[in-house]
Amino acid sequence: MSFLGYPRPDGTVGTRNYVLVIPQGLIAKSIGDFVAGVRTIQTVDHGSGRTANDRERIARVLIGLGRNPNVASVIVHAASPGVGYPELKAERLADEIAASGKKVEVIDPVKDGGVYGAIAKGMQLARMMVYEASKLRRVEVEDKHLCLGVKCGYSDTTSGIAGNPAIGYLFDKVVGAGGIAFFGETTEIIGAEHSLAKRAANPQVAKAILDAVAYREAAAKSTGLDIRTINPIPANIKGGLSSLEEKSLGAIHKAGTSPIQGVLQYGERPKGKGLYFVDCWMGSYSIFAGYAAAGANLVMFQLGGGGLTGRELMEGSPSIVAPFLWCTANPKTYQMAKDNIDFYSGSVIMDGEDPQEAGERLYRTVIDIASGTLSRSETLLHTDPIDLCLEEPRF
Amino acid sequence: MAAKRALIMHPKDNVATTVEELQPGDQVRTAGGGEVHSLAAVEAIPFGFKIALEAIPQGAVIVKYGETIGKAGRPIAKGALVHIHNLEGTRARGDLERREKR
Repeated sequence: MSFLGYPRPDGTVGTRNYVLVIPQGLIAKSIGDFVAGVRTIQTVDHGSGRTANDRERIARVLIGLGRNPNVASVIVHAASPGVGYPELKAERLADEIAASGKKVEVIDPVKDGGVYGAIAKGMQLARMMVYEASKLRRVEVEDKHLCLGVKCGYSDTTSGIAGNPAIGYLFDKVVGAGGIAFFGETTEIIGAEHSLAKRAANPQVAKAILDAVAYREAAAKSTGLDIRTINPIPANIKGGLSSLEEKSLGAIHKAGTSPIQGVLQYGERPKGKGLYFVDCWMGSYSIFAGYAAAGANLVMFQLGGGGLTGRELMEGSPSIVAPFLWCTANPKTYQMAKDNIDFYSGSVIMDGEDPQEAGERLYRTVIDIASGTLSRSETLLHTDPIDLCLEEPRF
Repeated sequence: MAAKRALIMHPKDNVATTVEELQPGDQVRTAGGGEVHSLAAVEAIPFGFKIALEAIPQGAVIVKYGETIGKAGRPIAKGALVHIHNLEGTRARGDLERREKR
C-alpha cells in the first residue's frame, strides 16, 4: 500500500512539512509564536555542566530533528555565540543538517543585532521558508518510506494481550515492506531479553541486546531498591501487572516478529532498514523526540490505562515533528478518553476480533495519518516540554 | 449462569488473564493457548488481573506468555488472584541483592 508524502532531497519521505527552529530558547520560541507552521523543541537541557557524551547526545537529537523527513527547512540560532560547547555550536548543527540537502539558515544575536535582531531576522527567514515549503505537494509513495517509533505506557494487561500485538502486526508489515521501525525502553525488556536476542540479525546484535539489559539491570540493582517500587509504575500494578518481567514480556509484543537489525543509542540514526531496538529510558517526554531524531516520521503511544482514573486530556506531541498517535486496547480507557484515541483494539478482547484484522485496521489508520489526516493530538496547539534522555552525571 | 472468560497466552501458562470481573464462586472458562480450563474463582478478581489455573506452591515459577514472570511468594490456591501480594518478581531486585550482601 502507498501513502501521500513529501519527498526530501536525501530520499526520505515526510508525512508532515514543517520548518524547524533549534535549539530551544527565547529566540526559537518567539519565532514559533509568530510564524505559522514552525516547530521548535522545548527542553530546559541545553548542555551546561554536561559531559561530552551527553552534550553529543543533545547535539544528535537537534541534528536528527533537523534531518527528520517531516522537516522541510531549518533555522539554527547560535544559543551561546562564541562561548558555547563545541558539540553544540550552531555552525556544526547547521552543517550536519544541511548535509541532508535541506535548506538551513543560521541566525546569531552577535552578528544580527542582539536577541531582538536575531528574532526579527529569524521571523523573516521562517516566513519565507514556510511559504516555500507550502509549495511542495504530497505525492504517492510506497509504505517502505514509513519510519515508525512506538512506546507502550500506563501499560496494563490489555497492552500485552491486544494493544501491543496490533502494533507488532503493523511493525511486521512495514518492516516487511522495506520500512524502518523503532522500539526501545531497556528497563522494559528485562525478563524478555532472551527472546529478543534470539531474533537478532547476527550475534553482535544479540550481544548488544543482552549487554544493554545487563547494564541497565546492574544500575537498577545498585539502587538497593525493589524495582517494583519504581517500575512497574503504580498505574501498571493497578492495571493488573505484577512484576517487571510480566510487563516486559507483554511489552515486546509491540516489536512484532521481524529480525532485530541493531541496537541504537538515543537519537541515533539507523544505517539500514528494518526493526531496531533503541537503548533508552521509557520516559514519554523523551523517547519520542529520540525516535524523531533517529528519523521516525510517525510515532505511537500504546496506552493501557487500566490503572488510570482520569485521562481526558493527554500529552501534546512530545515527538516535536512526527505525528503522534494514541492507541489503546482497554475499553475503559477508550471510553474515558475517546476523543484522544486514534486507534482502539479492545475489540480483540471484548468482541473476539481477529488480532490480525485489528493490525490491518491500525495499518490503515497509520497510512491515513501519514497521508495528512491529523492525529488527535495534532488538533491541539499544546505541546509539552520534553526532557532529553541523557545518561551521565552533571557537574 | 454462563462461565466467565479468562485468556491464556501460552499452553505452558499457569495463570490466565480475566477479561470480566470475577466474584468468589464465579465459574471461569479459559480461552486462548492450549487446553480449556474450567475452574471457580475463590475470590474477587478485577478485569485484566490474573487467576491461578492450578495450585502453585511457594517458590514455584509463575508462567505467562510461556515465560517466567516471577515466583510464588506464598502458596497460591487454584482460582485465586495472582498479583503483587503473592507473586515475587525476580529481576532487577536491588533489595534482594542488598540482603544477599549482608
